[in-house]
Amino acid sequence: MSSKPKIGVYICHCGINIAKTVDVEELTKYAVKLPNVRVASDYSYMCSEPGQLMIREDIRKNGLNRVVVASCSPRMHELTFRKALVEAGLNPYYLEIANIREHCSWVHKDKQEATAKAKKLLQAAVAKVRFLEPLQEKEVDVGAAALVIGGGIAGIQASLDIANAGFKIYLVEKTPSIGGRMSQLDKTFPTLDCSACILTPKMVDAASHPNITLLTYSQVESITGYVGNFQVKVRKKARYVDFNKCTGCGLCAEECLLADRVKSEFNMGIGNRSAIYLPFPQAVPAKYSIDPHSCLFLTRGKCGKAPKCVEACPAGAVDFEQKDEIVEFKTGTVIVATGFDVFDAARKPEYGYSDYDNVLTGLEMERLISSSGPTGGKLVLGKGDGEYVPKEIAFIKCVGSRDKSTGNEYCSRVCCMYTAKLAHLVKDKLPEANVRIYYMDVRAFGKGFEEFYDRVRREGVRYIRGNPSEIFKRNGKLVIMVEDTLTGKPLEDEVDMVVLGVGLEPRRDAREVIDLLRLSQSSDRFFLEAHPKLAPVDTAIEGVYLAGCAQGPKDIPDTVAQAKGAASSALVLLSSGKVKVQAQISWVNEPNCRGCGYCVEICPYTAIELVLVNLMGHQVNVARVNGVLCKGCGACVAGCLSGSVQQKSFMDSQILPQIAALGGKL
Amino acid sequence: MPDFDKLRALAKETISRDDIKYLIGWRQGTYGYRTSPHFVRIPEDADQLIFSPLCSSNLATYLALAEKRPVPRGSQPDTRKVAILVKGCDSRAVVQQLVEQGIKREAVYVIGCPCEGVVDLRKLEEKYPHTLDRVGARWENGNVSLDLPSGNAVFPREEIVAGKCLTCRYPNPVIADVTLGENVEVSGSTAFEDINRFEVKSAQERWTFWRDKFNSCIRCYACRNVCPMCYCAECILDKQNPAWIQRSVNISENTAFQLARAFHLAGRCIECGECERVCPVEIPLSYLNRKLVKEVTEQFAFTPGVDPEAKPLLVGYRPNDKGDFIL
Repeated sequence: MSSKPKIGVYICHCGINIAKTVDVEELTKYAVKLPNVRVASDYSYMCSEPGQLMIREDIRKNGLNRVVVASCSPRMHELTFRKALVEAGLNPYYLEIANIREHCSWVHKDKQEATAKAKKLLQAAVAKVRFLEPLQEKEVDVGAAALVIGGGIAGIQASLDIANAGFKIYLVEKTPSIGGRMSQLDKTFPTLDCSACILTPKMVDAASHPNITLLTYSQVESITGYVGNFQVKVRKKARYVDFNKCTGCGLCAEECLLADRVKSEFNMGIGNRSAIYLPFPQAVPAKYSIDPHSCLFLTRGKCGKAPKCVEACPAGAVDFEQKDEIVEFKTGTVIVATGFDVFDAARKPEYGYSDYDNVLTGLEMERLISSSGPTGGKLVLGKGDGEYVPKEIAFIKCVGSRDKSTGNEYCSRVCCMYTAKLAHLVKDKLPEANVRIYYMDVRAFGKGFEEFYDRVRREGVRYIRGNPSEIFKRNGKLVIMVEDTLTGKPLEDEVDMVVLGVGLEPRRDAREVIDLLRLSQSSDRFFLEAHPKLAPVDTAIEGVYLAGCAQGPKDIPDTVAQAKGAASSALVLLSSGKVKVQAQISWVNEPNCRGCGYCVEICPYTAIELVLVNLMGHQVNVARVNGVLCKGCGACVAGCLSGSVQQKSFMDSQILPQIAALGGKL
Repeated sequence: MPDFDKLRALAKETISRDDIKYLIGWRQGTYGYRTSPHFVRIPEDADQLIFSPLCSSNLATYLALAEKRPVPRGSQPDTRKVAILVKGCDSRAVVQQLVEQGIKREAVYVIGCPCEGVVDLRKLEEKYPHTLDRVGARWENGNVSLDLPSGNAVFPREEIVAGKCLTCRYPNPVIADVTLGENVEVSGSTAFEDINRFEVKSAQERWTFWRDKFNSCIRCYACRNVCPMCYCAECILDKQNPAWIQRSVNISENTAFQLARAFHLAGRCIECGECERVCPVEIPLSYLNRKLVKEVTEQFAFTPGVDPEAKPLLVGYRPNDKGDFIL
């Protein structure tokens, strides 16, 4: 190791990407003269097999012990060249890349100046490579279980795939039943499958799968640890109903004093439930729970003479003494499938959602039109004597999407098709109704979407291009003020009912999930993937994956596909049972550490903690790096005032010569 | 001589406690108007304690830098508290050390001394050069009264106190287990008039100014040694391998040193002015420090050394920070 550096320098043309702007031949001639450099060669594509072969042969033939490649960004091919070093029997961390493409040829025009800069960059890399030290890549075991947060279709699918592969799953769902948003939908576009009919078998599968532990009405309290070894704490909220005794018969709900008087979350407030309830008939698990916010006994301590539900339950399952329960377990990976919330239409006051009962959101319309919904699938508005069948029905798209005034610049991707689907369902139930859709654009990009859009138009649904400016009431009718932007004419459209095609937004409680895992958000506030194209289900945190709308708006097929992708990523780790951890991690020179904890606060991966050590009889705080959690970002190194934190391969003693070389000293 | 009975009685009472290791205060120096730090270990030592407008040194430096001698095998480390006299500015150093975990709250007993400003010894030296007989001083109705060999002299506060005291916003200790005397009125403001006046000069003018100042730096490191916030076990300036800053005394290395020192105090400097006071070649270091204090105040609305529960400025991120400096 301490033998004299023998450096090989390899200069890549990258076709003409580099060679056009940098004189690679001159650079090669220059490189040979640099201290400790044994060989220097240039080649059209260093990353190609012949290019790598050149490096491998030189290492063997000339006994090279350090390699500098002047090419593209290390983000592109550092791993490629490291492998080449390993194959030639050299430690992979004896490699240094001089980025003469992104940092030089691509950003400069003048060949002479670019060549001069390339020389500097190369010289700096040569200066540094002499001081590099060999590093060992460690492996840690991966616990053979996965945590899935969110029991919608994404979470269910990911759980099933992993469970079927033979690994243990903890599926945590916040509400009393799994099923998520998909269970609220009536039909699915563009094939018009009944949403519940295709979903419920999967829900039942998940619940009955021997490898899946279902934790409904539960929330993850904390996740600590790191890839392969996450320690999870889950709070199982008190249902006030004995899970094992409840048979789901529903007698309690019928007798509840508040029967049909509490707004049903599942029905988006259109229908009502009791205080003891099953969210929807196909709920899984089919176990009742008591809503502690509405139950008279729980809120006031008194419910008639004695709570009716207790008397009604033949199994004696109601238990007001029940307490929250904390469940702890370990998993190797985590899948975040926490889904979305729909845009709050009250934030577009011009559409009168808060003022008029016959202005509905798309999701409310799903419940209204669903045969399992509060009206049994009858499309009627009003209550009791005021009940009526709407005749003139309008849809408005892009409510809360593609709209800077609401802060949502993105397209929600599902509204075009779900409004078309709802319009079709309306025509199906009320053939006489006049249905029109106000739109900005129609984005029918998916498989079968355009055909469905055509079909809906053939069925007599009118598409009017225009973004309504206001909705108000006149003579008992809703009036939509809009300009038809194809004809340029202002319209006043009188209708009985308006359905707002509300967009998808990150969940309002997303912050809690972020705090659990230190996830990042993209500018649209959805969770940020590791790479938009090449790592769309990964996150910056190793072992944590994203599935479904938590990452961005998606329709069901895309959600399922992504869930399967996340499951497959998790399975790569689970099935290999081992994961390699970053070798270029930071470490603390403990005698020099002043224990201020700056690095602890700065670390985005919670990889550093302060520990008490014995310093000649005194208990003092020093920082200590967890080598598995550390991702080698170097933030702690920059933050340390005493220079006590150093990062391997980027140590002061390695970087300073590099800087000095840039300044002309070698 | 002013009356120090209350101070000495309190110190005696404090040092007699079982949980106090020693007490750090001030005493009269060996000559002239100099004062010295005084370590009280037995009650009798307390008889030399003073607190006057001449007590400018910031004793908080002795807290985090206290030497940790090896504990003999079989015995326990002495975990008793250190008692310390602090003026307003000194107390901020204590708080900032607490924030940075340089010291622990339970390891220190703070005796607060509200302060009306300390004398700038350079101003005094100009008026009364080469004074060898001991000089006493006290605050008197907003003025500073001096008992000089030539007799009593009273100066208006503005004429004699240090520059930092004229802009001081924290004359009263921000942390104290016990306070000596009454709190004084706060007169300082956050206006950075001195810095603003300097900032408007051209880059050339400013560089000429600093080049001359840095050129005169002899790299004695007094500014670093006296600073209560510089308490790393091994300062990066002393590191040999790698040497971030070379030891040679020249404009390049001197500038690197001065800038590194200033930047290491960004968001941490509590404006006690000790660095400037001790500089033998009179480099106006408070200009550098206060420039950064100004940035920290304006960009992050942050004041270091005020809240012991605060997180250090540069390790946190608040989405509502101004961020004017981001290009």
